[in-house]
Amino acid sequence: MAASEANTVAAAATGTSNLPAARVRRIIKEDKDIFACGSESLFLISRATEYFIDSLVRESYEFSRLDKRKTVQYKDMAKAVQSIEQYDFLADIIPPTVSVRKLATTETQ
Amino acid sequence: MSDYEGGPANEDDLSLPRATVYKLIAEMMPEDIVCAKDTRDLLLECCNEFIHLIASESNDVCEKEAKKTIAAEHVLTALQDLGFGKYVTEVQEAYDEHRKQQTKDRGRKSTKLSQLGMSEEELLRSQELLFAEARMRFQSQTSQAPSNDSTPASANSTH
Repeated sequence: MAASEANTVAAAATGTSNLPAARVRRIIKEDKDIFACGSESLFLISRATEYFIDSLVRESYEFSRLDKRKTVQYKDMAKAVQSIEQYDFLADIIPPTVSVRKLATTETQ
Repeated sequence: MSDYEGGPANEDDLSLPRATVYKLIAEMMPEDIVCAKDTRDLLLECCNEFIHLIASESNDVCEKEAKKTIAAEHVLTALQDLGFGKYVTEVQEAYDEHRKQQTKDRGRKSTKLSQLGMSEEELLRSQELLFAEARMRFQSQTSQAPSNDSTPASANSTH
């Protein structure tokens, strides 16, 4: 478990982010309402995103484990998103499992 | 290649670099579990959404304070408001370290001057001395009457 956190912990220790600042800034700037973002804020958002990845990965593989699988699949992440309130903003990207009925209707189109 | 870091040509495809995120995922996974390819791509999209979410919320906090630039405090407040309070403590540690790094870099730039061991007046005086010496050398070289524009810069082309 310690090895997996090595990079994130090391980055925290040196006050850096594993994500490229320029790229993160470009993503932020896609929002036209945002006038400017300071470099410190940029750094914080980068770090927060890394912790977000960490959280989502952990929560997802818990579901894989419950299902006694060694591979984290789409449905694991979908369940993680559904079960945690803070992840409501991801509901559109990860729609809950597509039912067979829905699949049948799309096929007829 | 391109003058960017090789990012996507189309702004709509803008996302974090895949290799970096894949590597982070791999490190966060326990030894015995792997992440399916489509799941990794999904996570990549989630990151984009997350960044947009935090940035947007931070911007709202920023505007409420009648500021134009998103500051660190705005981001921390936004994280709390969005229910990611547990990130705040962890991010705080990195933030403090980051600020220490910034001041260290700034300090490094100024030590070169202070290492000379001379005050500003002394530096100015030694500079004027150098100018005067150079001027004398120049005037002794030219046997003609010296021109009236005695700008030291014209006689002094050395460091």
